[in-house]
Parts: sequence; structure tokens; C-alpha cells
Amino acid sequence: MAAAGAGGGGRTYSFKVVLLGEGCVGKTSLVLRYCENKFNDKHITTLQASFLTKKLNITGKRVNLAIWDTAGQERFHALGPIYYRDSNGAILVYDITDEDSFQKVKNWVKELRKMLGNEICLCIVGNKIDLDKDRHVSVEEAESYAESVGAKHYHTSAKLNKGIEELFLDLCKRMMETAQAEERVKGNGASQSASSRRGVQIVDDEPQATPAGGCCSSG
Amino acid sequence: MSQRTERRGIHVDQSDLLCKKGCGYYGNAAWQGLCSKCWREEYQRVRQKQIQDDWALAEKLQREEEAAYASSQGVQSHSQSTPPQQPPGHTSLGPFSKFEEKKTNEKTRKVTTVKKFFSPSSRSASKKETQEGKSPSPSISRHASFDTDQVSRDFVDFLKNLQKTGREIHKQCRAFIMNMSSKKDLSAEELSECVQDFYQSMADRLMSHFKGSSDSVEQVMDQVEKYIMTRLYKSVFCPETTDDEKKDLATQDRIRALHWVTIQMLCVSMDEEIPEVSENVDKAITDIIEMDSKRVPRDKLACITRCSKHIFSAIRITKNEPASADDFLPALIYIVLKANPPRLQSNIQYITRFCNPSRLMTGEDGYYFTNLCCAAAFIEKLDAQSLNLSPEEFERYMSGQASPRFSSSEGDWPHSGHGVTATNPVLAQLNHNLELLSGLSSRQETLMESARSLQADLLSWPDTVQREVNDILEKYPLEVRSCTVSAIDANNMDNDNLPPPLTPQVFAG
Repeated sequence: MAAAGAGGGGRTYSFKVVLLGEGCVGKTSLVLRYCENKFNDKHITTLQASFLTKKLNITGKRVNLAIWDTAGQERFHALGPIYYRDSNGAILVYDITDEDSFQKVKNWVKELRKMLGNEICLCIVGNKIDLDKDRHVSVEEAESYAESVGAKHYHTSAKLNKGIEELFLDLCKRMMETAQAEERVKGNGASQSASSRRGVQIVDDEPQATPAGGCCSSG
Repeated sequence: MSQRTERRGIHVDQSDLLCKKGCGYYGNAAWQGLCSKCWREEYQRVRQKQIQDDWALAEKLQREEEAAYASSQGVQSHSQSTPPQQPPGHTSLGPFSKFEEKKTNEKTRKVTTVKKFFSPSSRSASKKETQEGKSPSPSISRHASFDTDQVSRDFVDFLKNLQKTGREIHKQCRAFIMNMSSKKDLSAEELSECVQDFYQSMADRLMSHFKGSSDSVEQVMDQVEKYIMTRLYKSVFCPETTDDEKKDLATQDRIRALHWVTIQMLCVSMDEEIPEVSENVDKAITDIIEMDSKRVPRDKLACITRCSKHIFSAIRITKNEPASADDFLPALIYIVLKANPPRLQSNIQYITRFCNPSRLMTGEDGYYFTNLCCAAAFIEKLDAQSLNLSPEEFERYMSGQASPRFSSSEGDWPHSGHGVTATNPVLAQLNHNLELLSGLSSRQETLMESARSLQADLLSWPDTVQREVNDILEKYPLEVRSCTVSAIDANNMDNDNLPPPLTPQVFAG
């Protein structure tokens, strides 16, 4: 999935990440905090917060992250597949003070696993930890659920700027790992030419023997 | 009959059933008596030969083309900065397109026999064009228009900077277009696959050529896409093999049937009362409609992006914060409903099939395009629930028995006219227009009245004048005095001040 091109020795990965979750859980604040480092600020320069990009450099590898916000209203739920098609990662956000929003996340996880299998890296994010006193979703419940579906769980606060950098960095590392594993498979089998045509441009400029453990052992 | 042949088959000698090549396997009549393996070999050999012949032809053409290319390059280097409408540009194009015609004629002669049934006009047109000897071949683009030429010229101009690689790219693209023009009967998906494969292989080659500088690759790929798709547009946009057109009509009817959907039902956070917002809304509508007029997938995407940007501006002005997807998608749906863009489904399909995938998958344009797809899907599946209406209400609106602007404001209609105008911009406009009209008619009436009184005045005026004259005549009856004849200036009082008349003087000598 990762459009990877050799660029000046290192590789450049392009990842698509979708943001899923009910309205009002703070999806937009989360990305705005991450990309603009601003929260509820009148000085936010960007015209929109629905498509944002971020360039990263992780252990010498360049990563272009495209973050796709999705409409969270219930009536748009059926449009999900159009959004998350071909994405490398999904960030599923819920509000820790809102039990319903966690339920929604569970639905999304089920759907994503069904449609995309294990190719997609899932992150379950409990946002608004600054409102911990009103917490309605217990930490244990959320974390054990995440583990049971092969997702990672994070606690964030867009308001206090907590946990957001870690979330995205971790996700990027996991997506790189997945991409590298996929490349290795392709290098051996070279059978997936049909799927590789769909936006996947992988240039085998060197055998992918570089140690992946270095950047991926943090999880 | 089939029975007989079957029976005969049974009595046939064993050796007759075997492969003619004698490899020991059974043969098959469908494979000219060969077994599947030998048939494939044979077939491959014939095909290989065909391919080689094609290559030889292509190479021959290539040499000619390079000559044409070089000559066009030579001329163009003089007139690089001059606009294409000017004569130098035309002369440079001359040999280039002429050549193209020759080449395609040679190659597509076989195809035209089939084609002419479908497009009787193209043949006569092509004849005329040949006489004129300067329009590009009709087989690629029947009505090769000015912008097609323009695109070709731009493409050549662009590739000049790449020198040898440029020529290589040019050759590849032309060969590809040639190849595609002979594949008219393929399904849309197969056509798409051909184009995508071409993009893929071209991108791979460029990648290795530019040593992985993805920016330059992207630049070249954009040009390649522009060139190829401008050329192929006519034959691959909304092709007859698909039901795109039917879908277009269905969507169009659907949007028409949904004319009653209001901005409130969609919970759009745009306040059209603000002039700037409604200005942006209008621009967004214009952009989305404009999409249909573009040929290159990337240009179509650019229209969608521009439309999206205007929506974002509108939301930003209304809410004073950056728009999230929660705001954006409903707004886009609203815009699509208002605009009813021509051939929406065809355009979406065309972009999906023929756009350079790297742009569509991860880029910003891709995001907006995805949202447009979502909007189209939403509109298609739209029901009572998605507008927070009861099914009965929805039915009534759809069947035209009721209109939301009346039923929803029935209660407050008499009390607050303002509430109604606020909820329905169209109605507000209507009221406004009505007011204007009634104002106009009252002014017209006043005008009529004044005109009438003016007329009456005018009619009575001569009478008045007559009467006054008579009065004066009566008061001061005319007296005729005897008049004495005198010099013309006798009555002139100033005579005394005048100098005495000159007396004639005699000068001696």
C-alpha cells in the first residue's frame, strides 16, 4: 500500500491514515493539535482541518503522512468504506466521558477488520483525559478490548497536548513495519502485481534486509 | 448432425485424435488438431512474429517521427516564448501533425472499416481534413480541436527540456495512444487497466531514470497524463460499453427530485445570509459544474479542489474556525444538490479509471475526490432517516404533495414573516422579487397618472393661452397710428453720441 520511492539513499513512505469516530469526540482537535500545535485557537491559520499532512523523519526514513478526517455523523456511517479504502492506518477516537462513542469505536473495529483484514494498523484513542473525573469508559476495559482486536490503545488530551505525538509516532513506526513486511513478501512471491497496480509504486532499489527492529521495538 | 459427427468421432482411429505434432497428447479440432501445449507454442510463435512485424513498423515510424520532431524542435526553438496562436507556432506544428496523420492512417486502415459503421461522419470529415492537410488524424480524436493541438505542442515543448529522455517518452506515449485507438471494443475496465499499466511502467522507468527524484517523476507524469488523456478523452469518457450514461441520468433525476432538501436538513454550517458566504457558495457551484468541461483527470480534480476550497472558506466565515470533515461533507452534499453537476457519475468513473493513481490515493485532491464520491453515494441512498425526517414526511416531499418550507413554517407563517424568509433563501428571494415587482407596478401607476394629468394640462393649455390673449386684446385694443416716414435710424436715441459722418476729402496727388 505504501507508495515508496527511493529518495536520495533513504526511502520515502507515504501513508494514508483515516480518523474515525463519532462527532464531538475531538477528532479535529486532535489533528489540529498534532499538525498546528494549536487548540481552540483563533490564530489557527489553516482553512480546514479535514485533510492535513505531516512530514516526518523516522530513523532516517522519510515519511509523508496524510491524515483524512471523516464525517462522524451517524448518517454518514455507510460511507466509511469509501474513506478508508487503501489506508495504511486508522485512528479510532472516542471520548472517555461518553460510553456511546466507545461503542461506536468497537463497531468501526469490527468493520475495518472485516473489510481490510490485518493490513491496517489500528489505534484506539481515548481522548479528553483532562476530563478524567467524568470518565465513563474504564481504562482496563478499553485496553483489554484493544489488545483483543490487535489494536494499540492510547490516552490523549488535545487540550493539554498529551499523548498525541506518541500516538502518531508509534502509528508511523507500525505502518513502516507493515509496509516493509509486505515488501518482503512481494520480493519473494512477486505475485501481487494486480494489487500493486492500484497506487502502489514500490521500487526495489535494494534488498530489504535493513534491520527493522531498530525503529519498531518501541511497542 | 452433431450426433453423427460424434459417432464418427468414436470410430476414428486413435492416431487421428492425437496431436499433429506427435507429442503423444491428444489434439483438439479447436486448436487445429494440436494439443494445448503445442497449440500455445505455435500460437506464440505466430504472435511473436506479428509483434516483431509491429515493432519493425513502429521503428520505421519512429525514425520518421524523430526527424519530424527534430525539425519541429528546430523551428520551435526560435519561437519558444511566442504564444501558440501566432504563425510561428503553426508552422512548427505543420510537419508534426501531418506526420501523425500519415502514421495513423497507415496503422488504422484496418480498424476504420469497422469504425465507419459507427461514425459515418468521421470518414467524410477525415477526407476533408486530408485535403487540407493539417488537422491531426481523425482516428485518435475525431474533432481534433484547437486545445488538442495546443496540448501536443505543450507536451513537445515540455519534453524538449529532457532531451533524449524526452524523445523516448514521446515515442512511448505516441505508441501507446496508437495502440489504444485500435482497442475501441474493450470494456471500460480493460481500458482503464491499459492506461494504468502504462502509467505504472512509465513511472517505474522514470523513477530509475531520475534516480528516484519523485518530484521530477511526478512532473513528467502529470504531462504524460495530460497528453494521453486529452487524446483519448473522446473515446474513453463515458464509453458505450458501460452504463455510465444511464447512471448519469438517474443521478440527475434523483437530484431534481430532491430539490426540496434544505440546508437545515443537512445540518450544513454555512449561513447564506452572509453575502461573502453566498458568494463562496456560488463559486463552489460554478467550479463543480465546470468539472465536466475539462478533459484531463487532473484538471477535473483541480475543479473539485477549487470547489472544496470555496466551501471551506464559506464554513470558515460562518463558524470562524477551520472546517472539519463533519462540516465539510454535508456542505459538499448541499453544493452537489444545488449544482446538479452534469454527468456526475461519468466524471467520477472517468477520474477513477484514468487518473494517475498516486495522486488519487494519498494527495489532497484525492481526499476531496473521495468526499465527492461520498456525496454522490449519499445522495443516491438518501432516505428519510438521513435527513432526520419521518418516512411519511419524506414520502410527501418526494411525491411533491408537500413542501418543507410550508409545512415546517405553517405555525409561524402569520406571526413572523422573517422566520420564513430566514429559513428559505429561495423564498426570501421570491418575496424580495415580488416586492420589487409590486414597487415597480405602483411606480408605473404613478407615472401613468402624471402622464395623464400632463396630457390634460397640455390639452387645456391652448385654451388658457387663447383666453389670456383675448383678455389682453380686450384690455388693450389695437390702435393703428399714422406713421411718419423717417430715416432708419431716426428713432435711435444714441444718434447724438455718434461722431459726425465723415465728409469726403480730396487729396492731391
